[in-house]
Amino acid sequence: MTEPMHGVGQILLQNQAHVLDAWLARLHDTAPSAQPASLQLLKLELGTLVEKLTAFFLTGEGEGDALKSVEAQAAAISAACARDGLTPMETATLILSLKAIAGDLLNRESGRGTNELDRRRAALDAVVDKLALVTFASFVETREEIIRRQGRALLDLATPALPIWRHIILMPLVGIIDTQRARQVMEWLLEALAREEAHIAILDVTGVPLIDSRVALHLTKTVEAARLLGSQVIVTGISPDAAQTLVKLDVDLSSMITRGTLRAGLAEAFRLLGQNAKGPTETML
Amino acid sequence: MIPEPDVVSVRVTTEIDVAEARQEARKLALRHGFGTVRAHGLATAVSELAMNLVLHSARGGLIRLTVQDAPEAAVIELVSEDDGPGIPDLGLAMEDGYSTRGGLGCGLPGTRRLVDAFAITSCVGAGTRIVCLVRRP
Repeated sequence: MTEPMHGVGQILLQNQAHVLDAWLARLHDTAPSAQPASLQLLKLELGTLVEKLTAFFLTGEGEGDALKSVEAQAAAISAACARDGLTPMETATLILSLKAIAGDLLNRESGRGTNELDRRRAALDAVVDKLALVTFASFVETREEIIRRQGRALLDLATPALPIWRHIILMPLVGIIDTQRARQVMEWLLEALAREEAHIAILDVTGVPLIDSRVALHLTKTVEAARLLGSQVIVTGISPDAAQTLVKLDVDLSSMITRGTLRAGLAEAFRLLGQNAKGPTETML
Repeated sequence: MIPEPDVVSVRVTTEIDVAEARQEARKLALRHGFGTVRAHGLATAVSELAMNLVLHSARGGLIRLTVQDAPEAAVIELVSEDDGPGIPDLGLAMEDGYSTRGGLGCGLPGTRRLVDAFAITSCVGAGTRIVCLVRRP
């Protein structure tokens, strides 16, 4: 195995510039969705990959640090491609196109009988195929990581508890309420109620697309938990469509105070506070 | 000439799929001229049935919506199918307030009230199939 690999390495070493040029020339076809800004960076990264690949073949070893270094570089390229919005197809095609380019080169340079050529091409193909697999795994991993991060970011954005008046907290809910969100809403609301010593929490569900029995259950539980803390919850923003649907579902929401609009909910909050509704903050007393 | 039916199907295994299914249902209803209340009702029915798939069937199930649309009337057929554990006592499951998973117990009976026609068949150990019809006007 050592000789054909070393042969490939020698040929690559003498033709590094040519390989890179040929590869870059194909970039436009292999990765049409790449932006000009990312192309610049990609050119540098591909140059490094060719260098590392050459070094790897010259060592003549199938495994080891040189191979790891090549794989790491391929993974880095793939991650960059994933971030720049290239499709996995484009990324894999980009790496695999090296096979054709270097293959042509080997055909031209190894004129010493077909056996030698076959062995060299086999050595090259094995490595490039492996790189393509590494690229694909790394591509998926990068996308997954982006999705995970976005998920966490959304969860953080989703449920602010705003102290809008002395003793009154407003929590506007926007988006889909799944089990995880519902749990978080309850947790954050109770925490805010305790922290602000609030008597009333307004849960505004204008931004919740649909209230089914599951969401209703979570709302009921939240209201009940708040009641144990001595606070009342006013649910506002149930749409006329949702109201008719909830009546048909026969969900029992009689345990909570509901108002059509946030404005009406705020008015109810002030009415409930009565004498205690003085200034918006403690200092304005 | 009978127009081609408009079909949407969503495989439901996790909560995210539930949201997907009900969004598709709402869009489908609005696309075929159903009112917002009807669309909301259908979306809620889908949400209830899909959530049941997530909660009760280990491998989830399939929600399929088929529209037969004609100028004077349209009907959406909603089918929920799974190969989950099945429901031993359908009478009990259709009763208000009965729940095996600590829910409000209004999923199935509520869904029946939201749609124009409702049929359920279940076989313990083999799965459950629910068919609902929602009509326009």
